[in-house]
Amino acid sequence: MRWPERVMGGPLAVATGAVLLTAMLGAVLLWAGGYDPLAAARAAALGAFGTRDALLSITLVRSVPLILTGLAIAVAFRAGVWNVGAEGQLYAGAVAAVWVGLEGGSLPALLLVPAVLGAAGVAGALWALAPALMKLRLGVGEVITTLLMNFVAIYLAAYMVHGPLQEPRGVFPQTGPIAEGARLPVLVPGTRLHVGVVLALVAAAGLSWLFRRTRIGFQMRAVGASSDAARIAGRIDTRKVVLIAFLGSGALAGLAGGVQVAGVTYALYEGLSPGWGYTAIAVALLAALNPIGVLATAVLFGALEAGAAAMQRDAGVPAVWAVAAQSLVILAVLALDRVRHRAGSEASGV
Amino acid sequence: MRRQFRQSLSMCVLALVACGGAESDSGGEAEAPFRAALLTAGPVSDAGWYAGAYEGLMLLRDSLGAEVSRQQTRTPAEFDEAFLSYGSSGYDLIFAHGFEYQDAAIRAGERFPATTIVVSGGGRFAANVVPLIFELEEASYLAGMLAAGMSESGTIGMVGGVEIPPVEGTFRAFEAGARAVDPDVDILESFTGTWDDVAAAKEAAGAQLARGADVIIHNVDAASFGVFQAVREAVATGRTAWALGMNRDQNDVAPDVILGSAVIRIPEAFLETALAWQAGELGGRPIYAGASEGVIDFVLNPALASRVPAELVAAIDTARGRIRAGELTVPRVEFVEPEVR
Repeated sequence: MRWPERVMGGPLAVATGAVLLTAMLGAVLLWAGGYDPLAAARAAALGAFGTRDALLSITLVRSVPLILTGLAIAVAFRAGVWNVGAEGQLYAGAVAAVWVGLEGGSLPALLLVPAVLGAAGVAGALWALAPALMKLRLGVGEVITTLLMNFVAIYLAAYMVHGPLQEPRGVFPQTGPIAEGARLPVLVPGTRLHVGVVLALVAAAGLSWLFRRTRIGFQMRAVGASSDAARIAGRIDTRKVVLIAFLGSGALAGLAGGVQVAGVTYALYEGLSPGWGYTAIAVALLAALNPIGVLATAVLFGALEAGAAAMQRDAGVPAVWAVAAQSLVILAVLALDRVRHRAGSEASGV
Repeated sequence: MRRQFRQSLSMCVLALVACGGAESDSGGEAEAPFRAALLTAGPVSDAGWYAGAYEGLMLLRDSLGAEVSRQQTRTPAEFDEAFLSYGSSGYDLIFAHGFEYQDAAIRAGERFPATTIVVSGGGRFAANVVPLIFELEEASYLAGMLAAGMSESGTIGMVGGVEIPPVEGTFRAFEAGARAVDPDVDILESFTGTWDDVAAAKEAAGAQLARGADVIIHNVDAASFGVFQAVREAVATGRTAWALGMNRDQNDVAPDVILGSAVIRIPEAFLETALAWQAGELGGRPIYAGASEGVIDFVLNPALASRVPAELVAAIDTARGRIRAGELTVPRVEFVEPEVR
């Protein structure tokens, strides 16, 4: 096992290379589209890092759901569980969080915030339980089941904001605002940075420790490397490990939904997520499934999103270009990851 | 009051267009009189609700010389961020084009007292947060008159998307207009529950046609094609049936069956709002943009105009004039809350 040097040395180089490659490709694209690449780059850089608000209120706030969903993917993929349902688990968590946040107004914040986040985590885990049971009992592939559960969750959220959880006057398809005591406190006064970022850091550190220092962490990696070998040679209860990976992954994704509701939007809307559960796959793979690496890649993606929004505002670049730039990053990552694997003569793929 | 508005509007436009021309001649970065931003939750290439807002922003740039910027937000998590970005960089006027921005707009309004935020279709207001309400009821009333006047069966229908007050308002006004022409007209009503389910809209319209309705209006946004298709299929069986368009001029969407459309002219509404802001009259109350401002109108389909009896057209024109003059009040559903704080 040579995890440490592999994960610490490689991904950073890949990330740097991806950013440079994307910057060049993006500049050519923008130039071809008739936009000023320098003005766009300047707007993006300032929008992501240029001011205290850009860094704390925008880039880091955007990174939080990507860190939590990225960790959710890392947990699952490490154990060989191809959970592509983080999006749905996130929505399940958001629905549960907003429900507790609306109903629990009489509770003190010290109890209510943990209740909101706890409900989100449990809901996410439960949303992952169905595909887990289908895989373990019936042998149904989780790529299909987790993906389909996403649609169910998205429609569930839509139903909630039109029906049971709709705002009190029943006018608009959204919930009312959650109780003040259910909202995550702001970490840095005067900014939008909420304590969810601390939660994300603790989760990353905890997972890093879990993977490297604990028995279950080792078992997850062993099952992920080869389920049969782990079961036969390692006498590992692979079914239990797979179930834990499903539930842990779902809980983290659900927590991401809860943190967004309690820390950013304070209400549930349709279209709450722009696809964090899918972007998370790129975030986690770019970090080679390393929890500490996820922190870096999630901030990178958060900065890209912040920069893309600033490009729209300050350089007049339409939103589609921003999406194109993000897709370019993912492509660059995949390409560079292959190159790295070949150079390092590593046989095992991610 | 509204009349005055309209007159001052056209004069200001003329004056400012002249000034704008002089400014652009001098070249360079002449300082703009004010800075305006637009937030949309969808692409401005939709040829509808968002495209109208984009045209409005461009109108502010071209006729008032405003420095403009826009952002398409993809998720509610971006609302506060977008307001923060524009507010902290000193934008004077932010058009947030959709009710979904209203809560974040109230929060941003508190933080940036020097910025005025206009929320299209919003339901909450404060000193510097202003809902812009489109009084589409005024055009729906005229549509109802046309529907009742054109119906041979004496039964007309309404197909709605989600049952929300702005939609209910258009239907109540449609009913009132229809009964003004034919007090005994039967009016059917159904809701599909969505804005984009074309099949459900077609089914609902088909059911109304089967119950004898021969003129059908919709308020199902993107699913309206289903309504038009149902009417077309009824016509193909040899019946006489008509549809009516809503929100934008849909007359060319199905020119063979759409008699006319109740339209919102969003750019005009934005311009009027900006002028009110420049005159220091914006804030602390909602803005209602209707027929008297030229924002709301009912447009007959020119391709089918010959099918509409002249006296019916005259009656509709008379009613239009009375609505604009404030002599005729059409039913509407109020959904704006009392002022925040």
